[in-house]
Amino acid sequence: MTMFGRGRGSEPARNAEALRLVGVTKVYGTDAENSVTALDNVSLSLPAGSFTAVMGPSGSGKSTLLQCAAGLDRPDSGAVVVDGEEMTGGTEAQLAKFRRRRVGFVFQQYNLLPTLTVAQNTTLPLKLAGRRVDREKARTILAQVGLADRLGHRPDELSGGQRQRVAIARALVTEPSVIFADEPTGALDTRSARDVLHLLQEAVRFHGRTVVMVTHDPVAASYADSVLFLADGRLAGYMNAPTVDSVAERLAHLGDDVPAGV
Amino acid sequence: MFSLAFRSVRQRPGRFVGTLLAAFLGATVTMTFNSMHDTAGAAGVDDRSAESLTLAAGVVGGYGTLLVFFAIASTLTVNVRQREEEMGLLRRTGATPAQIKRMIVGESVLVALAATVLAIGPAMLGGRALFDMFQDTDQVAADVDFAFGPIALSAGFGITLIAAAGAAYLAVRRATRTAAGAAGAGEPRGRLRNVGGGLALVTGLGGAATTFVFESTDPALMAPAAYGAILLSIGLAAFSPALLRMLLRRVGRPIGALGAGGYLAVLNTRQRAAELAGVLMPLVLFIGVATATVYMQAVESDAIEASGLAKSVDDKNLETMNLIVVGVIVGFACIMLINSLYAATSYRSREFGGQRLAGATPRQVLGMVVTEGLLLTVTGVVLGTAAGLAGLVPFNMVRTDTVWPEQSPLVWLGIVATAAAATMVTGWATARRALRTPAVVAVTKAA
Ligand SMILES: Nc1ncnc2c1ncn2[C@@H]1O[C@H](COP(=O)(O)OP(=O)(O)O)[C@@H](O)[C@H]1O
Ligand SMILES: [Mg+2]
Repeated sequence: MTMFGRGRGSEPARNAEALRLVGVTKVYGTDAENSVTALDNVSLSLPAGSFTAVMGPSGSGKSTLLQCAAGLDRPDSGAVVVDGEEMTGGTEAQLAKFRRRRVGFVFQQYNLLPTLTVAQNTTLPLKLAGRRVDREKARTILAQVGLADRLGHRPDELSGGQRQRVAIARALVTEPSVIFADEPTGALDTRSARDVLHLLQEAVRFHGRTVVMVTHDPVAASYADSVLFLADGRLAGYMNAPTVDSVAERLAHLGDDVPAGV
Repeated sequence: MFSLAFRSVRQRPGRFVGTLLAAFLGATVTMTFNSMHDTAGAAGVDDRSAESLTLAAGVVGGYGTLLVFFAIASTLTVNVRQREEEMGLLRRTGATPAQIKRMIVGESVLVALAATVLAIGPAMLGGRALFDMFQDTDQVAADVDFAFGPIALSAGFGITLIAAAGAAYLAVRRATRTAAGAAGAGEPRGRLRNVGGGLALVTGLGGAATTFVFESTDPALMAPAAYGAILLSIGLAAFSPALLRMLLRRVGRPIGALGAGGYLAVLNTRQRAAELAGVLMPLVLFIGVATATVYMQAVESDAIEASGLAKSVDDKNLETMNLIVVGVIVGFACIMLINSLYAATSYRSREFGGQRLAGATPRQVLGMVVTEGLLLTVTGVVLGTAAGLAGLVPFNMVRTDTVWPEQSPLVWLGIVATAAAATMVTGWATARRALRTPAVVAVTKAA
């Protein structure tokens, strides 16, 4: 149940495959004793316009997967392809330039800049990329996330839920191919969390984005179209049309499904 | 009381470097000059020698102590602010505010103690050099012996330890208060700064104006002008946020148009103008005091030369004293400037992380930091030069009957270049270090 090509309007044609990982491995630490294999030969492919949740126990490599896929960290081996383009940049500047057009981020701790207003925070990625700042469009997106009357406020004048909505608006404004979200509802109350999850759904349905969301909460995962399960740095399962109960059930037995050595 | 503090100092000695350096310099200066008291107090020293020595000891007396306090306070404020997270953690695990206060004060006293012990050797050498100079110029009789004793040591330990304990107490009290009643904590401080700044401006102008009361050849002519410049520097720095904002209204747009780095620099500086007064204070002091004292000395030397007389021993001593005073103030101001700027930049690691996640390249972040440094430098140069001239021009008018000193502006350019370099290099190097942490780590870790 993947969804293609909705709401793309006048944007440049997107690749049908939004994200592909081929044999991605990431090891932390250099000496043999202390090294941790956070990702072990992970391959996956996500179609454009999909909403995927990534789940797994703490330490299973979810954040590492997201960071490698998003170009925030470089895998030790394997390839990452975003919107048809392989990530090859070596320096941080090259990676930053690669990310600008292709990916957006939403993190648990919002990462808004305290000295910038809501409107300025939203348009910052455009400024940094040297792109034309379409204030009208930013305003429209901020209105869509319910912040039309907060444009001149600074982050410390907003609630957690409102801050996360600014972060979503900021991730949308560059029209990226993939939006990566790491525990976006982790610091929010139930109602704000629901608003944020609805907005991520809308990013897929109305804006045609692809969303990859790391979460440990079955309720959050149930908003996605599909769920990828991760255990000990390896893919350990896949579920379509997840519900709260089916996800919780699968999580509880995740350890059982991973025979050693596979 | 000391066990927790002792462990904390031992484990993370790096974060106490600023305090150690400030306390070390403070103790060295204090003991160097106070050893003149020891020397003067020894048996068999004639009255004239004793008077010269006591006079010298008093040169850095009052404001020297004040500078030691300010320098230590500035480094400790930074240290405590960087550790708000740790203090919050301690409180959540059951430490009372009093226990935290004791820990921080204990740490500072330990560091100050170490600094003073380290300073004894250099202070003995410095004291001896000062003493030799007095003997060479016949201000002190040849049969007097240099002594480094109880007065130097008690002043060194006393002033440094009391300054460290007091500054730590104030810093931690402010931090715990801010944490308790987060909002509105800035208000009374702003008012206090305005009142203090106003007072410094009024007394500074008064000091500079007093210059006109003196005869042109009065040996004390330089004193009111110099003190005027120091006080005006402090007063102007207190009101520097207003000037910074005014500057931004003029140049904000063109700088913002230069690129994302400039754009962010303008927004940050506008938003943080009030906090940046802490960085501007030592910058203005540095430029103001250095400009006033160095040029007054030059005017004085030229005036003596023009009168056809040779420099007397007193003239020479005054010159040396002036240069020492400039050296001390400038040294302290430089430590404070570098320390406060280092802190202001390093605790922004998280903010830099946020910018990088929003698509900023390391270059853009560095561009922003350097632009901010430029805005600070320009503000500091304007205010510092104004304060320096406010002392220098009255002195020049009384001493030479012309308004404008005829000395070359090259020295002033040198002073400005030094200040600009200290500001930019500190900001740039600190930001570069902060950028070594991966962006994702920077935004999750406390600074
Ligand atoms: N920077 C790092 N240095 C060393 N080990 C790390 C680092 N980041 C993550 N790890 C380790 O890699 C594994 C996966 O971590 P992570 O991707 O954060 O898991 P998750 O997000 O699923 O909790 C864990 O064992 C973790 O301890
Ligand atoms: Mg994680």
